[in-house]
Order: sequence, then C-alpha cells, then structure tokens
Amino acid sequence: MRKLLGGFTALVLAALYAPILVMMAFSFNESKYSVRWTGFTLDWYRKLADDAVLHREFGNTLILAVSTTVISTVLGTMAALAARDSFRGKRLYTMLIALPVMVPDIVLAIAMRAFFSAVHFPLSLGTAVIAHTTFNLAYVAVVVSARLQGLDRSIELAAQDLGASPVRAFWKVTMPAILPGVVSGAVLAFTLSFDDFVITYFTTSPGDATLPMRIYSMVRFAVTPEINALSTVILLASLALIVAALKISRVPVAGGGR
Amino acid sequence: MKGRLLALLAAPTAWLILFLVIPTAALAAAAFSADGVRALAEPVTWLLFWRSFRIAVVSTGLCLLVSYPVAYFIAGCSPRWRGLLLFLIVLPFWTNLLVRTYALKFCLDPLGWSNSEAAVVVALVQSFLPFMILPLYSSIEKLPKRLLEAAQDLGASPARAFWTVTVPLTMPGIAAGCILVFIPVLGIFALPEFIDERSPMIGSQINLYFMKNSNPGAGSALTLILMVLTITLTGLYSRFKKSEGLV
Repeated sequence: MRKLLGGFTALVLAALYAPILVMMAFSFNESKYSVRWTGFTLDWYRKLADDAVLHREFGNTLILAVSTTVISTVLGTMAALAARDSFRGKRLYTMLIALPVMVPDIVLAIAMRAFFSAVHFPLSLGTAVIAHTTFNLAYVAVVVSARLQGLDRSIELAAQDLGASPVRAFWKVTMPAILPGVVSGAVLAFTLSFDDFVITYFTTSPGDATLPMRIYSMVRFAVTPEINALSTVILLASLALIVAALKISRVPVAGGGR
Repeated sequence: MKGRLLALLAAPTAWLILFLVIPTAALAAAAFSADGVRALAEPVTWLLFWRSFRIAVVSTGLCLLVSYPVAYFIAGCSPRWRGLLLFLIVLPFWTNLLVRTYALKFCLDPLGWSNSEAAVVVALVQSFLPFMILPLYSSIEKLPKRLLEAAQDLGASPARAFWTVTVPLTMPGIAAGCILVFIPVLGIFALPEFIDERSPMIGSQINLYFMKNSNPGAGSALTLILMVLTITLTGLYSRFKKSEGLV
C-alpha cells in the first residue's frame, strides 16, 4: 500500500515538473516551428537580449514590484502591530484586511479599475502599484502577525519601564525581533507582485505592460521558442527569489543582537 | 498607548478605505448601471456562470482525489523526506501561474490534448494542487495514530478505519483545501484562454466586456456577482470551521 502511495506521489510530482522542464529545454531548440528537437541554440535568448520593448517591460515589472513592496511592507507591518491591541471594530478591521485575499484576483482588479475610472484617474504603472499594495498589505500583515504572536510583549514594556521612549523601545526591541517576519513579508509581496498578471493587466495601461502581460499577448499570438526563453528567465528569477527568501527566513533570530 | 494605537491604525485604515472600500462601492455603482442590469438578462452570463461553477466543482473534486493519497503518503514519511516533498509540492506555487500554464499548453498542444473543457480541468487541477495538498497534509499529520490502531484492534478493516476514522477527522483539511481551490478557480482568467479558447469561463467574459466590447457596466455586474458568491462561500466555510472547532 505504502509503495503504491509512493509511486502515485512520484507520478504527481512528475506531472508538476515535467511540463516546466520540457518547456525550458525547448527554449534551446533551433527550430522555430517544430516541436521536434533540431539542435541547440541560444538564439532565442539573444533575441530577448536585443528586444528594447522587453527591457522596458522588465523595468516596469521591477518598478512595480519594488514600489508595492516598500509601501505594503510598511502598511502591513503597521496593520499587524495595531491588531495586537483590542479596539472597537477590530473584527471588521481584520475582515477588511483579509478581503482582497478571500476573493478571486479578478474581483479586486475590476473593483480597482471601476474606482480609477469613476474618479477619472488614467491607468498607469502608479495605479497598478496601488492595486498591488491593497492585496500585498494583507499578505504582509498575516506574515508579520504570525511572527508577533511568538513575541513576549512584556520585553517591550520592560524597555519602556527602564526609560526608553515608546518609539525607541519599538526600534530597539520590537523591530529587531519581528524583522525576519517583516523581511519574509516583503519577499512574499515582491514575488506576488513580480508574478502577478491579472491585477496588473486590468489596472495598468497597455503602454506600461509588465513581463507577465508580455507573455500573455505573445501566447495569444503564437507559440514560439522566444516565449519559452522568456518563460525560462521568469521562472529562474522566481526561483532565485525563493532561495533568497528561504535563506533569510532561516536566519537565527534568538538573541536578536543587531 | 491609545495614541500609539491610533498612529499605527491610521495609515493602513486610510489605505483600506480609500483603495478597498471605495473601489468596492465603485464596483457596485458600475454594476447597478443600465448596462450592468441588462447583462443579467443575457443568457450568456448565466451560461458562463454555470460553466465556471461546473468546471470549479469538477476541478476541486479531482484535486481532492489526487491530493489525498499524496498528502497521506507525505504525512507518513520521515521528517527529512517530509520536508523535501512538501518543498517540491510548494515550489511551483511560487512561480508565475501564466508561465506554468504556458508550459502545460506547450506540452499538451503537440499531443493534441488541449482544446477541450477536459484539458482546462486538467490544467486547473495541475495548477492548484499545492493549495489542496498543504491543508490536507497538515490535518492528516495531526491525526492521532492511536485512533487508527484502536479502530483496527476493535476489528475494523483498514479500509473501514480509513473511511470511518481518518476521513471524518481530516474534514477540516478537506474543507480548507476545497475552499482554497474552488474560489480562485471560479474566477480564473487567462488559463482557460491558453488551453482552450472555446471553453471561456466567467473571467473571460469579464475581460471581453472591459477590453473588447467597452462595456464596463456589464463587466462590473459579473464581477460583483462573483464577489458576492465567493464571499458567501468563505462565510459559510468560516461558520463550518467554528462549529468544527467546538468538537
């Protein structure tokens, strides 16, 4: 029985990874039209490297991801810190924070689009930053909250008793202790933003396209080895991010000397 | 203390009101326009909701069928293997869904396996598998082994012990996994278009209204219905979770 289950698990893993690996392999295939292997080439990557529009789209993707990461990390951390206290309307507050995560992303995207159009705000990279921040805020708040739960609040109060101002106590005691949570929240926000297609697609102008939007329009046009190459680059970038995130979250925090 | 709380609350609350509450109101306002109301009378709206619902139910069910044995197997591994297998299951979730869908399309197209609703379901199951496996794993892992042994000592066959002990006790994981898969699948966009253009779901129709037919009212109406549906589902789920928590 156990062997059967193991074999099935191996099969499922193969189904998860095989398409990705095959797709990556074919980004090095010479033939433009055939799915048969005709020879190794780096031409498709060279084509990507020479594509000026693609460079701009890559820049847009980074600007979007970095901006929303900064804003949502600050706001999400504040939201998580506030949620430690009890106050009137807290249930509503936590529900509101979680709302963007509870609905399919197209719902948030369209709500944002309806809003920008109602206030006659032209779509741009900036409007996409706002939309991304609204959902990233939720993820950062959840990650930081998890970290805060393990934190003994009396240490912060002790610092204040010993004469530290609340602000100083926060930066010297609380912040170093929750920093790993804040950093993983930030990495999560960056990754989600970097990989997002649906929300960006509906909240930015076509002139401010990002890499996932490029993939979408390329695939709708035709399947080419160039898409394989671009997809491979995006996948490897995401993988690099995960590895970085794992390294960070494993940093020992006990002692908190900083 | 009070001042500190206010200072912490002010910025995120202002953001959420300005960029979540008001946009939701704007969505509702656009949905209740003449165009929006007219869209509700269109048979295609309900046809697509029905198809999305059907695809989401089937994909969630298949996801559960595939995930349960995997989660069960992983929960029984040594801690080392457990860590590795879970990592391998979660890893694709961290990468771009569009790119993964493209990879699948790239492999299915030459085999002639795409271009059907069944292919869309297969792609959805493949893409959302981690969302099902993780909650299942955590509830199977928590299962007290003694209970299963007790059931078998008392004469239950392994199959009977599985259906009368394991499955009911892992219901929280099953429910969590189903909700985590069902909701995003119901509102999926781009994946059906990649795999089979002739199997559009509600997300495809919303896109059509906004990007091709320039009918934001109709698109907003569909989105609002989708929002109400998914929030109702989450509400029902959290009720279930609460009642489950008392046991």
